[in-house]
Amino acid sequence: MPDKLYVLNLIVAVIFYLPVRKIQASQVTQGVTSYGVLFGLSVLSEPLPLTPESLSVSINSAKQCLHLQWTVHNFGYHQELKMVFQIQISRFKASNVIWMENYRTTVTRNQVLHWSWESELPLECAIHFVRIRTMVDDARIPVPRFWSNWSSWEKADAQSSLGDHPLYVFPKDKLVEEGSDVTICYISRNHQDNISCYLEDVLTYGKQLDQSVRAFELKNVSFVRKTGTNFYCQGQGVTEGVVLFVSEVLEEPKDFSCETRDLKTLTCTWDPGDDTGLIQMPSYTLFESFSGKKTLCKHRNRCDWQVTQDSQEMYNFTLVAENYFRKRSVSILFNLVHGVHPVAPYNLFPKNVSATNATMTWKVHSIGNNSALLCQLQLLGEGKVIQQHNISVRVNGEYLLSELEPDTEYMARVHCAYADHFWKWSELISQNFTTAEAAPSEAPDVWRDVMFVSGHPTVTLFWKPLSKVHTHGKILSYNVVVENLDEPSSLEVLSVPAPANSTKVTLNQSSYQIHVTAHNSAGPSPASTVAISGHPGNENVEEGRINGTEDGFPMSWKPQSRNATGYVVEWCDGPQNLPCVPQWRNLGPTTTGTVISSGAFRPGVRYTFRIYEISTKRMARLLEKKTGYLEELAPSYNPQVVPNNLTSHSFTLSWKDYPTESQTGFIQGYYVYLKSKAGEKCHRGFEKTVLPDNSVCCKYTIDNPDQKTFVMKDLQPESVYEFLVTPYTSAGEGPLDDFRKVTTPDEYSHILIHIILPMIFCVLVIMIACYLKSQWLKDKCYPDIPDPYKSSVLSLIKSKENPHITIMNVNDCVPDAIEVVNKPEGSKIQFTGTRKSPTETKGTKPAYLDLLPTEKNYSGPGPCICFENFTYNQAASDLGYCGHFPVTPQAPHCQLGPLTSPENLLKTLEQNYMNSLGEIPAGEANLNYVSQLASPMSGDKESPPTNPPEPALCSEYKMQMAIPLGLASPPPSENSSLSSTTLLDPGEHYH
Amino acid sequence: MVLRLLLLCMVATGKCSGKYHELLLQLQRQADLMQNPSTLLDPYIHLQGLHNPVLKGSCMERPGDFPSEDALWRLSRQDFLRTLNTVLGLFLRMLSSLQQDLPKAAQQQAEMNIRGLGNNIHCMVQLLRGSSDPEAAEPTQPGPGPTPPPPPLPMLPSDTFKRKLRVCEFLQGYHRFMRRAGQVLRGWGGRRGRSRRHSPLRGLQRAARGTWPFPGLRRLAPQGQLPRLWSAPSPGFLGLGGWPGQVHTGPTFH
Repeated sequence: MPDKLYVLNLIVAVIFYLPVRKIQASQVTQGVTSYGVLFGLSVLSEPLPLTPESLSVSINSAKQCLHLQWTVHNFGYHQELKMVFQIQISRFKASNVIWMENYRTTVTRNQVLHWSWESELPLECAIHFVRIRTMVDDARIPVPRFWSNWSSWEKADAQSSLGDHPLYVFPKDKLVEEGSDVTICYISRNHQDNISCYLEDVLTYGKQLDQSVRAFELKNVSFVRKTGTNFYCQGQGVTEGVVLFVSEVLEEPKDFSCETRDLKTLTCTWDPGDDTGLIQMPSYTLFESFSGKKTLCKHRNRCDWQVTQDSQEMYNFTLVAENYFRKRSVSILFNLVHGVHPVAPYNLFPKNVSATNATMTWKVHSIGNNSALLCQLQLLGEGKVIQQHNISVRVNGEYLLSELEPDTEYMARVHCAYADHFWKWSELISQNFTTAEAAPSEAPDVWRDVMFVSGHPTVTLFWKPLSKVHTHGKILSYNVVVENLDEPSSLEVLSVPAPANSTKVTLNQSSYQIHVTAHNSAGPSPASTVAISGHPGNENVEEGRINGTEDGFPMSWKPQSRNATGYVVEWCDGPQNLPCVPQWRNLGPTTTGTVISSGAFRPGVRYTFRIYEISTKRMARLLEKKTGYLEELAPSYNPQVVPNNLTSHSFTLSWKDYPTESQTGFIQGYYVYLKSKAGEKCHRGFEKTVLPDNSVCCKYTIDNPDQKTFVMKDLQPESVYEFLVTPYTSAGEGPLDDFRKVTTPDEYSHILIHIILPMIFCVLVIMIACYLKSQWLKDKCYPDIPDPYKSSVLSLIKSKENPHITIMNVNDCVPDAIEVVNKPEGSKIQFTGTRKSPTETKGTKPAYLDLLPTEKNYSGPGPCICFENFTYNQAASDLGYCGHFPVTPQAPHCQLGPLTSPENLLKTLEQNYMNSLGEIPAGEANLNYVSQLASPMSGDKESPPTNPPEPALCSEYKMQMAIPLGLASPPPSENSSLSSTTLLDPGEHYH
Repeated sequence: MVLRLLLLCMVATGKCSGKYHELLLQLQRQADLMQNPSTLLDPYIHLQGLHNPVLKGSCMERPGDFPSEDALWRLSRQDFLRTLNTVLGLFLRMLSSLQQDLPKAAQQQAEMNIRGLGNNIHCMVQLLRGSSDPEAAEPTQPGPGPTPPPPPLPMLPSDTFKRKLRVCEFLQGYHRFMRRAGQVLRGWGGRRGRSRRHSPLRGLQRAARGTWPFPGLRRLAPQGQLPRLWSAPSPGFLGLGGWPGQVHTGPTFH
């Protein structure tokens, strides 16, 4: 084996010998180690010293690259050699090597070599130094090989061209992919500056690389906005920054597919994925490998490709998406006829549309050489496909649709596909049409309500609108034919325009059949017939109760006739107190039960159902009545309770006006609550209960809903009770918030009521009677001039002392003087003391006989004549109330002495009165008659007597007063004073 | 915003309104509307992510981008209207070159506002021209000459960050300029002929001498051409009728 290696080396040495010789000759002058001195085997161990020359370094700021360029000479006889170049890059200073790389390449003679290095640190922020050396790396050159000498350091200084701005930030407008790392640096000319740097709004800290350079490593940068991410520094009032354009990673196109619509143009589509976020969009290129053609797509998700005329059927497309950072591609193998997506048909129209048929026509776009298309015609009613037909079409399509419903709106739609190979339906086109009308197919559902007015039936006919399935067109009117069965020739026809659903017919007492038909523009419906008897049927059927459920009102009935043709259940949806539009349901002859449900049913409303049996003659007969609630509720309000018959131990409650039929449930009875403030024990029949407000009261249960009175007994007199009457249903009782108070009277109050009140009434009656008969009573009991014969004194005297004492007769006396008083009619003095006005008293002036001088015609002195009645008051006479005074011309007036003042008069009266009391026996002194002497004094009794009263000539006061015992000494009041003044008015005389 | 524009549209008629106060009020309202940063600047800041206080602080009006208030007050009414017209015309062109930088809706709305204001400026100029007020009267316009080339668009920095800030400054300047214009218009409020101008065509003369008072727009409008732009507007600007807010919907500039 060693022998073989030796031979091989020898061969190589021979091969290289001659060329080396030539190189030696040409390069001696260049001071390069010559291979020529190495000859024979020793030559093979020497390196091939090819030093790189003309090294130049340039800076590409946009890409942040150092670009190296150099050449290698002295290839000798070789046209090319494989070589390795070792490159060193230093930063800031030559000794600070930051990068070393071996670059291997095949070098041709006189080739200018290039090599680039991308710096992570912006090149503007640091001076870079580059050197290079080389070594032959060719198998033709025997080992060992040696590196050439290093080239001299080449300097790359981008800062020198920056200018004198105080602050710079690099790199400018760098484009990076999301998720990558970026290094940003700034150069500050003023080293003392305090510079703050921000990534967007975030303060960022970097690494000081040099006295004036600071670098910031941004890891995993993310997309912020299309207009770029701002990084900026601020120092000494200067703001500088850069914008990083971050691109999202370009996605591989998805769902790449191609199709043709006319076999002339292909359209390929794809989903490009998310936007990369750069203003510069990625490019999309479509390449077809069989034809070798490619096209630059105008859209980011679609590309058109013209089909060639050379009948190429298979296509191998490759879509290439490319941006600054990446290139993505997807491929598809496509058969042209397998991807035909026809254009939508057009001109879809209905023709010959009848009530049940319609013919649809449409056109299609031709494909290729008039290839056939498969079209699908769909018929939709109310949004659902109800018919579907496939038709082969070349140019014009046509299809007859049948089994359509009259007066119904349909939608016809059609789409087509390539018949030879189905790939995809075209877009749908649609057209609406409506079929013609036909006569209604079903008789209206008719019911009647019969009321007898004055013995004549008044029939209200109701009918339900026909369902759309049966109307077959717009109902225009309803015809009502009234047929009198007793008079076959009598027919009455009514036409009721739609949409009315009822009409009223007044009939006589015959039997009738009424036929109702619905009409549209195409004709009438079958007739619906009801029969009416001229006489009222039996409405008095027993009313049963039913309970509602969630499903409605279940009810059943017993058939009464074997030949019933059906049953009708009738009810009202609304509450009973509202006008009723009857609802009804027709049921078959074999049906004996049903469940009536309605959305209008509400809890707490009483519904009544009538069940009718329909005879063969269409006559309805009431079978049963049922009443119930869908759901019973507790009463919503309590009855208005009236308490009466109130005694000290009881009272009666009454609530007769409470209507039980209109309540929210069947009233089962009433609860009577009684609360007493004394907290008494509950009476018999009551039970103690606790109210929701935690108060305790007594409760009595009335389980008869018809009982509407209640007697509350065994109560305490003079006690306050609170009571409440509330009804209850199966759902509960009424509200407990309206207690009323009642107070029992004391035990004697009834006496007051029954005894004292009547007595008061009687007294009042007597007083009124006395008042009304006072004159009569006066005349009878105490006349102005009492009849001595009627005096009780007389009888008393007679009976006790001297039976012979008689009454003095005037005739028996010898009068000293006589005064005859002419007392006119109407001059009676009211004893009641009512003061008469001067005008009233004017006409009562007494008339005197001529023999007695009057004030006017008195012309001289004369005697005063005084008649006095001493019968009753002798003392007064003794006192000389009416003393006989000598009449002189100088003093013609009566000298009345101490009685000229009212005080004296009253005192005297009082004294006389007391005297008389002493003289009159007890028990007989009810009235004391005192004769008063009139004193013609004017003015107030309290005023000083400036003008001494002058007694009127021959005037006497004859009035007599009756002073009750209790009022013997009346206080001097204003009235009494006035009375005295009036009495003493001069010139007036009262009798 | 739409409602406000509709309200502004209420006075739109088939031709220029002859009512000075109505027209002036309309101009004031339009200026007030356009000075609101929410119409353009705020959407831009939001779209570009410049809402940080540090960056907002850097987004200040750059002197020279738009005429100062003092310069506006020095102009006669007709000069003021011409200047306003020209500045807005240039801004409109600037706006169309910022389609990638601005929200589309905000940009379109701003364009409509500017065109509406331009039409009302035209009507006001016509009204002032027909006025007998010697202060509002203008010298005879020079005869039609060759249509000047459109002014160059502003050179925005290629550095995206710098461009963002520069556009922000420019939009800020636009809103502030409209606020100043509104203040000047409100200063007209009293009588028709009142004028604070120091020299009727001082600004124009300065422009003609190469001392255009708005250096920031100098590159937008070549020296000596700015006044002519108003009388011969570039196609598509302020010559179209029917924009929101205009009182004038009839004649266009000729």
